[in-house]
Amino acid sequence: MAAGSEVYVLGGYQTDFARNWTKESKHFSALMREGVLGALETCSIAPEEIESAHVGNFAAELYCMQGHLGAFFTEVHPAFSGLPTGRHEAACASGSIALLAASAEIEAGRYDLQAVVGIEQMKTVSAAEGGAYLGTAAWYEQEAEGIEFPFPKLFGRLGDEYDKRYGLKDEYLAEISRLNYDNAKLNPNAQTRTWYMNREHALCRTDDNPAVGGRIRIADCSQVTDGAVCVFLASRDYAEKYAKGMGLKLEEIPRIKGWGHNTARLRFADKVAESANDQYVLPHVRSTVTSAMRRAGIEDVNGVDGIETHDCFTTSEYMAIDHFGITAPGESWKAVEEGWLEIDGKHPINPSGGLIGAGHPVGATGVRQLLDSHAQVTGNAGAYQVEGAKNFQTLNIGGSGTTSVSFVVGV
Amino acid sequence: MSSRLSPAEIRKLAASRKIERVVVLGANGTMGYGSGALFTTAVPQVTFLARTKAKAEEGLGDAIKQVRSPTVASRSTVGSYDDDLEAAVAGADLIFEALTEDFGVKKEMFDKVESCRRDDSIVATVTSGLSINKLCEGRSDSFRKNFLGLHFFNPPNVIVGTELIAGNDTDPELVDFIDAFSQIRLGREMIRTADTPAFAGNRVGFKVLNEAAQLAEQLGPMLVDRLIGPYTGRAMTPLATIDLVGWDIHRAIVDNVYDNTNDESHETNKLPEYMDKLMEKGVLGNKTGRGFFYRDDEKKQHVLDPKTGGYSPASEVALPDLSYIDDVATLYKEGRYAEGMQIFLGAEGDEAALARKVIAGYVSYAFHRVGEVTETIDGIDRIMGMGFNWAPPSVLVDTMGGAAAAVEMISKAGVPVPANLEEAARTGEPARFFDHPRINVGKFFVAG
Repeated sequence: MAAGSEVYVLGGYQTDFARNWTKESKHFSALMREGVLGALETCSIAPEEIESAHVGNFAAELYCMQGHLGAFFTEVHPAFSGLPTGRHEAACASGSIALLAASAEIEAGRYDLQAVVGIEQMKTVSAAEGGAYLGTAAWYEQEAEGIEFPFPKLFGRLGDEYDKRYGLKDEYLAEISRLNYDNAKLNPNAQTRTWYMNREHALCRTDDNPAVGGRIRIADCSQVTDGAVCVFLASRDYAEKYAKGMGLKLEEIPRIKGWGHNTARLRFADKVAESANDQYVLPHVRSTVTSAMRRAGIEDVNGVDGIETHDCFTTSEYMAIDHFGITAPGESWKAVEEGWLEIDGKHPINPSGGLIGAGHPVGATGVRQLLDSHAQVTGNAGAYQVEGAKNFQTLNIGGSGTTSVSFVVGV
Repeated sequence: MSSRLSPAEIRKLAASRKIERVVVLGANGTMGYGSGALFTTAVPQVTFLARTKAKAEEGLGDAIKQVRSPTVASRSTVGSYDDDLEAAVAGADLIFEALTEDFGVKKEMFDKVESCRRDDSIVATVTSGLSINKLCEGRSDSFRKNFLGLHFFNPPNVIVGTELIAGNDTDPELVDFIDAFSQIRLGREMIRTADTPAFAGNRVGFKVLNEAAQLAEQLGPMLVDRLIGPYTGRAMTPLATIDLVGWDIHRAIVDNVYDNTNDESHETNKLPEYMDKLMEKGVLGNKTGRGFFYRDDEKKQHVLDPKTGGYSPASEVALPDLSYIDDVATLYKEGRYAEGMQIFLGAEGDEAALARKVIAGYVSYAFHRVGEVTETIDGIDRIMGMGFNWAPPSVLVDTMGGAAAAVEMISKAGVPVPANLEEAARTGEPARFFDHPRINVGKFFVAG
C-alpha cells in the first residue's frame, strides 16, 4: 500500500453467537442494530462520524426473505439516513469482501471512516432447508441440487484428496475439533462455549456424532449461527484524530497491513483437477495467504503471532495449516501432533474457537475474524488472548475453496 | 482474584494443579449426574457413586443422555457407597458432594469422606444454600482447609453461572485455583459469594419467584406470568420456572432464607400457604404433572386456581387489557430496548403498576444485598444473567436510563430505595452499571 493510504481498524463489536434471534422473537433489523450500536459504543464513536457503510451477507433473501441490506444500515440510527451504503456477497467470504471494498475506498481517499457489518440470521429455517441454501455457494445445479447437506460432502472430498495425496488420519481432524471447542470455552461470545466435547467425542463413530458427508461427522462441522459483527475502518487522518481522543498513540491502533484475494473455479472437481500437479491442494488459497503476507512485508508464517482461519469443517483447517506454511505441504498432522496450534503454542490457530467453536454466521465470519485479530493485537482478547500478539492473519473462504480472502492485521 | 490476574496467569493457575480423579457423591440425583457429565469434559476419570451400584449406573445413563455423548462412559466408573467409596475417595483429587439438601445426610457422608480422604484432596459441595461453615464445622484442619462450595446451576452443561463459596478456614489459594480451573477447564462463569443463606443467585432470584407465587393467589397464574413475562427481562416466566424447579425445592430455598435472614423485604420470602397445602396433595410442579400449569394429553394448557386448587383450561382464563406489553414487544423485536422500557415505565393501569412493583423489588433487593452476599453488584449481575438467564439488575437500571430513573421507579412503586443506588443517582456515577462490553445485554429482553 502506498504511504498515506493505510487502513486502520478502530475496533468493533460482535453479537453473542449462541443467541437464537428467532427464539427471541426478533427481526433481522434487531441483529443489525445491536451489532452496529454495540460497535459505536465500544469504540466511543458518534454515529454522525460514520461516512459510509458496507454490509457483508450471504443469503438474507433465502433465510429472512429480505434483500437490500445496505439500506437496513440506515435504520439503525437517524444520523445514518442518506449515507452511501451497499451490500456484498461472496458466500462465506461475504464479510471479507465487504472489508476489501471498504478498505479500497479508504485507500482511494473517498472516505475517512467506514462501518463494515457482517451479518447472517440462519436459525429461521430447519437444518435441512438451511443446508440446501448453503448449497447455493457451490454450483447448485451440478453440486448441490437434490443432495442433503452438500457442503459437508464437498469438504469431505477435500479430506479424501489429502488422504489420496499424502495420507490423512481422522484422529487429527478430531483433535482440530477438540481444540476449537476448547478455545470456544474461553470466548464469552462463542456459540459452543457450553457444548459437550472432548477428543473421544470428536472421534466417536456412533449416532451421537453422525456422519453427514463422507468422513465429515457432526463434530467436524462449523455451526448454524445467527450473528452480526461490525468494525470500523479508518484513514490515517481519522485514526490520528481518534487516537488523540482516546489517549492512544497512532502506533497502538492496528492497521490492515496486507490483504490477499483470489477466486478459483466454482466446482470442487475443477479445483482439484487444476492442482493435480501442485504440492498445494488449493493453490489459489495458498496464493491468497502469501500475497497478504507479502503486502504486509512478512516473510512467512513466523511473522504472525496467530491465525484466525476458516474452519468451516475440520478438513478446511487441516488444509489451512500447510497452506499457511506452518508445515510442509501434506504434513499438517505434525502441527496438530506437536500442539503448535494451541493458544500457548508456536502457531496458535483460532484462539476464538473459529467457525467450529465460535460459530459461523456465514456473512459475518470474515468480519468476526478481523475483529478477533484486532482484539488479539490490542491485548483485548480476554481469556483467549495470545500473549504479546502484534500481528494476526485471517483466512476467510467462500464455497469449496472458491473465494478466498486473507488479512494481516497488526500494530 | 480473576480481575487481578491476566488471562494467561489464570490459564497457568488452572494448570498448576492436577485434577485427574473426581468422585461424585449422589451421582443419581439431577445435580450429581449433571455435574459428573461436566467433569468428564476436563477430567480423565470420574467415579459416579450412589447408594447402590444400580443407582449410580442410572446416574451415568442420565449423564450420557443429558450431554448426548457416550464418551462420558469412557471416562467414568460407577459404584456404591458401601463397596466403593473408601477406595474411590482415597484416590480422588476432588470429592464432589451432591446429596439431597439435608444437613444430616450431608454430615453423615462427610464423616465417611473424612475417614478415607487424602489430606490434600479437595472436598466441594454443590449445596444451593446450606451454610458452608456449618457443613464443615468440627472437622479436621485439613478438611476445613480444603472444603468449599461449588454451586452449579441446573443443568450444569447448559448454565455456566457458578457460585464459589469459601468457608472461614478454606485455603485462599485453593479458592483461587478452583476459580481458575472452573473457568478454563469447565467453561464456568465464576461468582464469589459470601456464606449467606441461598448465597447470591437463589437469594435474589427466588425472592422474585416467591413474590410472583404470592401474587398468583389473587391474580391467578396466567396474569402473573404475563405481567412478569419475557418483556421484563427473562426467557422463562416466573411461575413456569417454579413448576420446572419443583415446588418442594422452591419451598426449601425460600424457607431457608425466611428462617435465617431478616432483611427489608422479609415477607416476600414467605411461602404462600396455598402452596404448602397443595404440596400435601402432591402438587410439586412438572415432575408430578401438576403445578401452576399443566398440559393435558392433547397438549392443551390448564391453569391452577390457587384459591380452590382446581384447574381451568388456559383458553377460558380472561385477562385484562395488556396491550402495553405488545407495544413493548414490538419495539424489542427491532432491538429498541430502551424505548420499550420507557413504554413499560409509563404504562397506565393497576396491572402495569404491579409488574413495575415486582421489577422494582428485584432491582431494590439486589442492590440491597451488595456487601452482604457479594462484594459488588457485579457478582449479583453475573449470576442473575448467567445463572438465571434474567436481565441483571444493573442492565435494567442502565436500560431505564440510569440510577436516577431507577430510583424514581423504585420509589414510585413503594419499594425500599437502596442507599447505594440513591447515592449513584445523586452523583451520577457510575454512568453505566453493567460494565461487560462483550456481553450482549439485548439477549435478556425477549420480544414475547
